[in-house]
Amino acid sequence: MRELFTLLGYELRETFDSIPWTVYFWFYFGFQYFVYGQLVSRLVVSLSNYYVYYGTGLLIIMTFNIASWSGRRFVEGAHEGRLRYILSLPIRRSGLFVEQLLLGLIANLVRIGPPLVLVLWLNGMPPVALLTSTVVLLSMSVGIMGIMISLSFIAFKSFDIYSAIVASASAILIRFSTVLYPLAFMPSAYASVARFNPLTYGSDLLRNVMNIDVSQLLNPGMAGVVVAAVGVVTLTLGVVLVPRTLEGVKSS
Amino acid sequence: MSPSGPAYRKPFVGIAQAVGVNLDSAVETFNLTKAYGAVKALDALNLKVRRGEILVLLGPNGSGKTTFLNLISTVLRPTGGTATVMGFDIIKQPLKVRETIGISFQEPRGFWRHKPYHILSFHAAIYGLRGKERTEVVEQTLKDFDLWSSRNKRFMELSGGQGKRLEVAKLFVNRPKVAVFDEPTAMVDLDGKRMIWDRIRALREQGSTIVVATNEVREAEYLADRISIMKGGKEVVTEDLRTLKDSISGGDVVEVGMSPAITTGAMKAISEVPGTVRVTQVSESVLNAFVDRSEDWLPLMMASMQAFSVKITSIRVSEPSLDDVFIHYTGKEIVKANA
Repeated sequence: MRELFTLLGYELRETFDSIPWTVYFWFYFGFQYFVYGQLVSRLVVSLSNYYVYYGTGLLIIMTFNIASWSGRRFVEGAHEGRLRYILSLPIRRSGLFVEQLLLGLIANLVRIGPPLVLVLWLNGMPPVALLTSTVVLLSMSVGIMGIMISLSFIAFKSFDIYSAIVASASAILIRFSTVLYPLAFMPSAYASVARFNPLTYGSDLLRNVMNIDVSQLLNPGMAGVVVAAVGVVTLTLGVVLVPRTLEGVKSS
Repeated sequence: MSPSGPAYRKPFVGIAQAVGVNLDSAVETFNLTKAYGAVKALDALNLKVRRGEILVLLGPNGSGKTTFLNLISTVLRPTGGTATVMGFDIIKQPLKVRETIGISFQEPRGFWRHKPYHILSFHAAIYGLRGKERTEVVEQTLKDFDLWSSRNKRFMELSGGQGKRLEVAKLFVNRPKVAVFDEPTAMVDLDGKRMIWDRIRALREQGSTIVVATNEVREAEYLADRISIMKGGKEVVTEDLRTLKDSISGGDVVEVGMSPAITTGAMKAISEVPGTVRVTQVSESVLNAFVDRSEDWLPLMMASMQAFSVKITSIRVSEPSLDDVFIHYTGKEIVKANA
């Protein structure tokens, strides 16, 4: 465990060594929320308060992007040789996967935390919402990181294919979900696809714990089960797949 | 008698033998194989590295040297066979193996945005060095490897040679029982090469077993207790340098000068001396004899020449180089093999 936390501390230092990158995330949120969000919410009249809805959607998009970055960082580490060095150290492979997840979660928390607090404060939400929405966002983050890291075996064959798959998955998962618009407003064809999308359940669960337009949302119990299940499945996949991928068994 | 004396060792030897641990070998492979599809990077390798020795792996690119080092360091997982490192199985006890072995990679590996000081400090922390001890070891290692003035540069700002020295220096922070170096002086200047070689030898003197993969003949000759020549994922031969050179039939070339001139009878007599592979006349008074072991051959030749009326005016002996040995066993010159 000592080795694991030493590595975590070291990687955190590297991650936050680049302060402009973290500030960029907050800057991005500010522009999207206060400029684009304000303007677009004036166009949307069929939803009572789209500005709040959009703000939560923006938090989910950022969570998705930061979690994807964790997967990408993992793959880049392999290409740069950093991962091979770490593999030579006395650290368990499964522990390494957990360390990568912890790193991603902390990076997510630091980068999402201030925007989340801002959204909750501006909309007069209770402090308990900070706790529950943080739990939901981090749970989603685990699922997304698990998928991205598990997909890393593709990148060992071709980084281009991996990048294309991740970019396509990002575009499809966000558009065919309730991240930016509720299920009830979607054409039935879109809605039927969105119902199979884990992001739909994550988005609705987040809005449930924030008490936003509850009538438009999926059942929170079911949404919670789906988010947890995705996290567990991708974690298991990662723990099984990643060591085999890294040690070259897959390539044989 | 000290606790480490023979009287105390014996029972442990018995236990080790009972559980199948070979106390003579630091690394032992058993049909170790690594395949990528139909291509076998390592093909059923059986190799022993003795405790306390420096074994140098020499072979053309693609001969399996780096794959072997990555497998015994558990960075890669074999597709067949297994190996032990200080008695620990690389498949069943990988964590124990990683606690025992350290690898310095061919390409510098690490954290590109970090600085040499922090890179070595992290490495030391992983291996349990704390506080003042860690600081002292890291600072001394930076000085030893001529990296002190670059300690606050970022890794990606270092020159190729500095990056390589840093990569090698990692193993001198934790001083593993088995230290593995993959081309330790590639990209390093001549002074740096000698410094690294001397430090590797010193590491062995302090008790580590060393495995070095290289393409450099000088490096192999300077470091090796034994040399293992590899080709096509297999071990071709493993011997000490002297034995390898002696193993080439006719490898020693003895140039003999005679006065007034070489006679037919003298040529015949020399070609019949035991150990002679062939004799060629270079000039009227000089011949070259290709022999197995010049030190055994010379007295016999001198004795046989007493019956002739020629006077031996000069003798010059040249033994085969490691390059000759390499060509003999792989059919390639080292430079061309790695081109």
